Amino acid sequence: MAGRLDVLVCSGGACMSSHSLEVKEELVRQLEAQRLADEVRIVETGCMGPCQYGPLVLVYPEGVLYKNVAVSDVAEMVAEHFLKGRVVERLLFRSETADQIVREHRSIPFFEKQMKIVLANCGAINPESVEEYIGAGGYEALGKAVTTMTPEGVVAEMKASGLRGRGGAGFPTGTKWDFVRREASPKKVVVCNADEGDPGAFMDRAVLEGDPHTVIEGMAIAAYAVGAQRGYVYVRAEYPLAIKRLRSALEAARKLGLLGDRIFDTAFSFDIEIRVGAGAFVCGEETALLASLEGRRGVPHPRPPYPSTSGMWQLPTLLNNVETYANVRHIIARGSAWFASIGTGESKGTKVFALSGNVRNTGLVEVPMGTTLGELVYDIGGGVPNGKTLKAIQTGGPSGGCIPVQYLNTPISYETLKELGAIVGSGGVIVLDEDTCMVNLARYFVEFTASESCGQCVPCRSGLVRMLDILDRITRGEGSMEDLALLEELAHTIKRSSLCGLGQTAPNPVLSTLKYFRGEYEAHIRHKTCPAAVCAALFVAPCEASCPAHVDVPAYVTHLSNGDFAKAFDVHMKTNPLPGICGRVCYAFCETKCQRAQIEESVAIRDLKRFMADYAMEHQLAGPKPGARNGKRVAVVGSGPAGLSCGYFLAQRGYEAVLFEALPIAGGTMATGIPAYRLPRDILEADIDRIVKTGVRIELLSPVEDLGRLFADGYEAVFVATGAMKGQTVALGETLPRGVVTGVEFLKGIHVDGASEVGDEVVVIGGGNSAIDSARAALRLGAKRVTIAYRRAKADMPASPEEVAEAMEEGVEILDMTSPVGVVGGERVEGLRCASMAAGPFDASGRRRPVPSDRPEIVLPASMVIVAAGQEATGELLRGAGIEVAKGGLVAVDPVTMGTSRPGIFAGGDATSGPATVVEAIGAGRRAAIAIDRFLGGPGAFEPEERAEVATDYDEDAYTQEQARAVPPMAEVRTRIRSFAEVRGRFAKEQAIEEARRCLHCDRQQTEDGACCESSASLAAEAKTR
Amino acid sequence: MKLEELRKIRERVQNDLRLRGGATRVKIVVGMGTSGIAAGAREVLSAFLDEIEKRKLTDVIVTQSGEKGLASKEPIVEVIERDRPKVVYGGMTAEKARRVVVEHVIHGTVVEGDVLAIVDAEKE
Repeated sequence: MAGRLDVLVCSGGACMSSHSLEVKEELVRQLEAQRLADEVRIVETGCMGPCQYGPLVLVYPEGVLYKNVAVSDVAEMVAEHFLKGRVVERLLFRSETADQIVREHRSIPFFEKQMKIVLANCGAINPESVEEYIGAGGYEALGKAVTTMTPEGVVAEMKASGLRGRGGAGFPTGTKWDFVRREASPKKVVVCNADEGDPGAFMDRAVLEGDPHTVIEGMAIAAYAVGAQRGYVYVRAEYPLAIKRLRSALEAARKLGLLGDRIFDTAFSFDIEIRVGAGAFVCGEETALLASLEGRRGVPHPRPPYPSTSGMWQLPTLLNNVETYANVRHIIARGSAWFASIGTGESKGTKVFALSGNVRNTGLVEVPMGTTLGELVYDIGGGVPNGKTLKAIQTGGPSGGCIPVQYLNTPISYETLKELGAIVGSGGVIVLDEDTCMVNLARYFVEFTASESCGQCVPCRSGLVRMLDILDRITRGEGSMEDLALLEELAHTIKRSSLCGLGQTAPNPVLSTLKYFRGEYEAHIRHKTCPAAVCAALFVAPCEASCPAHVDVPAYVTHLSNGDFAKAFDVHMKTNPLPGICGRVCYAFCETKCQRAQIEESVAIRDLKRFMADYAMEHQLAGPKPGARNGKRVAVVGSGPAGLSCGYFLAQRGYEAVLFEALPIAGGTMATGIPAYRLPRDILEADIDRIVKTGVRIELLSPVEDLGRLFADGYEAVFVATGAMKGQTVALGETLPRGVVTGVEFLKGIHVDGASEVGDEVVVIGGGNSAIDSARAALRLGAKRVTIAYRRAKADMPASPEEVAEAMEEGVEILDMTSPVGVVGGERVEGLRCASMAAGPFDASGRRRPVPSDRPEIVLPASMVIVAAGQEATGELLRGAGIEVAKGGLVAVDPVTMGTSRPGIFAGGDATSGPATVVEAIGAGRRAAIAIDRFLGGPGAFEPEERAEVATDYDEDAYTQEQARAVPPMAEVRTRIRSFAEVRGRFAKEQAIEEARRCLHCDRQQTEDGACCESSASLAAEAKTR
Repeated sequence: MKLEELRKIRERVQNDLRLRGGATRVKIVVGMGTSGIAAGAREVLSAFLDEIEKRKLTDVIVTQSGEKGLASKEPIVEVIERDRPKVVYGGMTAEKARRVVVEHVIHGTVVEGDVLAIVDAEKE
């Protein structure tokens, strides 16, 4: 009786590691139990591709693809789907964009853009059945070649196809075959390079395990074309399953007479042997491979002679990669013209890539050449998970290079990647997010190649070791700029003078990271910091490293965990004097790097800070006493976070610091731009008062118009911290009706003037926190409907996801892909005309640029339009003092001294960076205070104290088990939108202590055996078993 | 082996692989809800499968669905063909199933007597 269902169970390597064979066995049992064994056939196939989601089960004829199938899911699958026809929806893929379930596997975004030629049978047939291979069209091409074509004809087809070697070098395959064919030797050899040594590459493994016959057929066609009688497949020993499947495939082929004497009744005889490698990366290099095949030590020799003239046993030898051979039968069966119609001008056909790293859909993908990097990473790969941003893409493994986000529109081909300083290589693609240290990455690759060097030639043997040495020292904070110069020189020399491809390409990762990320190297060397918070020797803990103010997070959090709230406060005030404000509005860079996220979620550091600050305010804890007055005076223009911070740290050093504020209230953008429901006024004032009590004076309603006057008045240095408080406009028309305001004006109006007229319908343009703040404020002022129009996709909004979620809860509607083009209205605005956008090519920020779509324009009714699309600084004050001001009104300063082009005048915060965060401004203020101190003859840096780790007085092990992150109480939506009362509540005391105890104390120094403490050693051991 | 022998193997195996082929001309959907099964849908299903195998039809697939709803007319079978209106048969038996395969699927003539409804492709 005919089968009704074919159930394909993926038995590629990754799925097997996820116990797909156990799933298959359970399927057999369940089918027996439901008496469906006659109707349903189970087929074990090779790798289906999306390895991230294994075990995978593909059910035909519907083509339904189930993911992450557990043994416990099988009973339901059989009873509901196979028996009753009801697909089990919870096991299906979800489309990220449409949030829809996608049943049919060809429609899953991961597969939609792929074109499977090399992997055509992988995941579709049983690799252990030569009959299924034949049923799917196998060995037709071999038959056609040996019975109807001449060897010259086959070579001509290969040449016309444009196929280039897929092992990495990209040499034209047809040309190589021709070289071997032309050799006048009766005996020739055909070899398949299945050594696949690049870390992370497993394309060849998938083909050998999932469709071994395609390689056999390719080799046989090649042997016929070049005149060879014997073939060898050199497989690395680390691929036992590939070896087993290949062996069984060879036996099956021989049994059917597809290998051996007189194939298809012609004079062509050919057979293949398997030879197993012994664990050396260098044996992927062709001359070393051939030496190893002959039983000699795997060591390369200079070329010429090339293997095509003198290879194995000095016979003319054709050596190609697994993927190259896997393309052959398709070219012969369907014709070179068909193959050449795929891909780009110089790079024809498809390429199999192994996608790994910080990307959602890791696994194997096959795409036509010419597919862009952005399509590969985003459309197929699903983008970068966990809210992280893409930093670079590494291609070509240890011989390759990295490509930063500006090049996402690059179509992939041998030429284009080479131009960017990378290579296609064997096909490994590693996606790197913001948490990657490019220096450490380069070090990792050099460590690999240095240890794999065969040792024959000095440049590679000694040169790579020296390069590794320098990279090690740089990552430990012991590097110098001379080291960097030497590193680069060594890299170029090793490339030019190494004997084989290993040495010639090993320096590539270093050269390419230097090309695009030199700043990171310099940060490690000059500033002894690792911006990505990876090189442990350079920071206290990842949280502290990522904090722009370098607050000692582990110390204060540990104090909190002990219940020592006042001590925690003291630690915080050492580097950040605005705990109340930051506890409400800080971006919390620390939480993005918190290692606790690897267990469940990051520690709620900002909420802990808020708890601590509230305690300090309620107990009226004072800041540290100011230093003894030294008689010098410093003027600070602006009382925002940069100015307040600078004033505070100057007072600590004994200076008389005076802040000149133009507005009637202090606080800068914190006071005018952040609504009270996020930052209550009393908290803002308490933080500022505390600073004033440490000896800082603030003069309100005192705008500064001439910096020179300040010097005349006796101030010896000036710090300009005027922020970026001018709202950017959007092109909406020549003259605008009333009711169109910038977000800055709108929010300032509420906080300074108390103005509040909004009307019923408010539309906000923009996607940052300012847009969200304007929208939620408008709601509280009585607007009946508030809409945010953002021109890109919602996922691209710069506003923090928390703010966006809270706004949506409150009823703010967010229309993405909506770009404003004009206003409607006479004297007063009545509506906003918007174009509907579509996602276009990627821009330099790695996001898709919005382009006009063919959907019609819409008009959003509006009684007020708030433009919150960015802010600029006004540079008049600095221009007046003869200091150069760049576009956007920003002033350039030396990153270390914070000095402008005029000695004595310093600047920091948004005035130099453009709109950024409160904590960045606080960090800038402190650096400026140190620089000003140095400028005025002081020591400069604050005395580095020996950092003491804070001990804990509770059982740490108890807190390494899973414990959900604490959530503070939130005001109910319906009540909170009626006023500006604070929305987010505070932890209770016990809650705060418990949450603080989730900290893993990453600041602890490592002990001899590498463990920080007993807790971390047991955690690491546990993680290994998970 | 000779090339002709390769072709024979291919033809034989292709039938086995047809479920994965995707080049389906006709899809037969047998309603297998509880009432369908009670009315004998399993036998109808087996008959379809058997007839298709006997006649080596490589472009026809048989699937099942849940409750069709019209319990009094069970077992219900839908015959869906590309570019043709969908034909819904009611009161099917194993014998009628075989007749549908021969007359409708192979020769293109709808078996009038058993038809419940003909659904325009667009309307759906």
